[in-house]
Amino acid sequence: MSWSINTVCRNRSLRSTLGLALGTMVLAAVAFSQDMNVRVPSSAAAGDSISIGTTGSGSATFYLIGPTVSLKHDVQLGTEIVVPSKQTEIAGQYKAIVCSEHCQSADFFVAPAKAASLTLLVHPSRVPVGQNDAISGVALAFDEYGNLIFEPSTVDFQLSAKGSTPTIRSVQTQNGVAWFRAPSGKAAGALQITASLHDIAARRVVQQVASEPCNLRIKGQRTRKGVLVETEPIRDCAGNPVPDGTVVTFTAKAGNEISTVDAPVKQDVARAQIQAKGPLVVSAASGVVMGNELRLEAQ
Amino acid sequence: MSRRADKSSLARAFGLRGAFWVVSGVLLAALGCFAADSPPQVTLDATKAAPRTVEALTERSIVRDYRFAWANLSQALASNSAEPLNGLFQGTANSRLHDEVSSQLRNGLTSRYLNQTHKLEAVFYAPEGDVMELHDTAEYDLEVLDGNKTIQSAHAVVHYIVLMTPGADRWVVRQLQSVPHF
Repeated sequence: MSWSINTVCRNRSLRSTLGLALGTMVLAAVAFSQDMNVRVPSSAAAGDSISIGTTGSGSATFYLIGPTVSLKHDVQLGTEIVVPSKQTEIAGQYKAIVCSEHCQSADFFVAPAKAASLTLLVHPSRVPVGQNDAISGVALAFDEYGNLIFEPSTVDFQLSAKGSTPTIRSVQTQNGVAWFRAPSGKAAGALQITASLHDIAARRVVQQVASEPCNLRIKGQRTRKGVLVETEPIRDCAGNPVPDGTVVTFTAKAGNEISTVDAPVKQDVARAQIQAKGPLVVSAASGVVMGNELRLEAQ
Repeated sequence: MSRRADKSSLARAFGLRGAFWVVSGVLLAALGCFAADSPPQVTLDATKAAPRTVEALTERSIVRDYRFAWANLSQALASNSAEPLNGLFQGTANSRLHDEVSSQLRNGLTSRYLNQTHKLEAVFYAPEGDVMELHDTAEYDLEVLDGNKTIQSAHAVVHYIVLMTPGADRWVVRQLQSVPHF
């Protein structure tokens, strides 16, 4: 009996002790969680010095985990932690962690700073004149720390060539990108493309070259070695001289024999020497253009 | 004699059981390791890409290279070695991750990106195919360790803006920037 009373008593005291301990622990945990807290800024821009608040007392370890940054140092709870601007240059998600007996954390975002540079991609570097949608450009805005700016803003693309009125297209960025497509001009020469956003600009140059030859005329004369044929100055349909190196194929037909000679254009004209003594029919072609036929009698 | 036989059968039985438990343990450990190191899951929705349509082959390359990029990124940050970063990260993304590895190393921290899933959406594909912008809704379990002590362990859903450009034989990540929302 005494044993059972003792046991009951012991159980009761155990229960009350356990209950007390649990209660204390829960209260302590609640108090602790209320005690130690981390307050992060609701908004911050890249390169801003920020302040992170802590509550509680005693010493703790502060960690800042973010893009490119992993900071760790000892702090006193209840004080403000100042994160220098150097540590917040990269836009993105940051995690402030404060660890004492346990860890508390809070996340915050650093937004890009104002636009400081434009990346402009333009294609192609050389383009034949008179082509639809032949030129394209893409502009992306970045801040001084290399963060992509995705807030909508308007980029002005200006296309200017010598002897023609510049054209301007205003394009609003979508997801941080503005782009355009444009036809090439009528005249060969440099086309300057400028993308500008507020007071920043980026420039590229596209070289507009003559398109395919428009017509091809050849002339020839007998020489001691055979026949010397040459084209008249070759131009595209807009009157631009075709670039040096454009290949012209001369075909000579003597009876049943056919021979061909490829000659590059040099200073607007292509020349070829054909060895033949009998009557001859010479023609020329470049790209999809055929030239006239030239009939030469026997020597 | 019979006692010896009993002993040997007992030993055999224990040996078999032991071997069974050892093998099971190894298998479980391997399974655990496999789960921890399982490669990132990447899906790509390229239907909204404009102005250029994403070619089927490009779509496959993006998924493959972005998966490798994240596998390499998590390996680099878990081991504090910048070596895995070479190859699939270029330009800004590469230099920033190098800085992150150095910063972790300086402070004795490591990060683990576990159970990654990445839902990619191509939102811009340049007319000439030389740059693609993607939105990645990434989910992973992030563990941050100070030495051997875990200071942060949480499931995270993070939105990334990604710029990728074609390299000689792969697509490389040039910008990896987290944003609050798309």
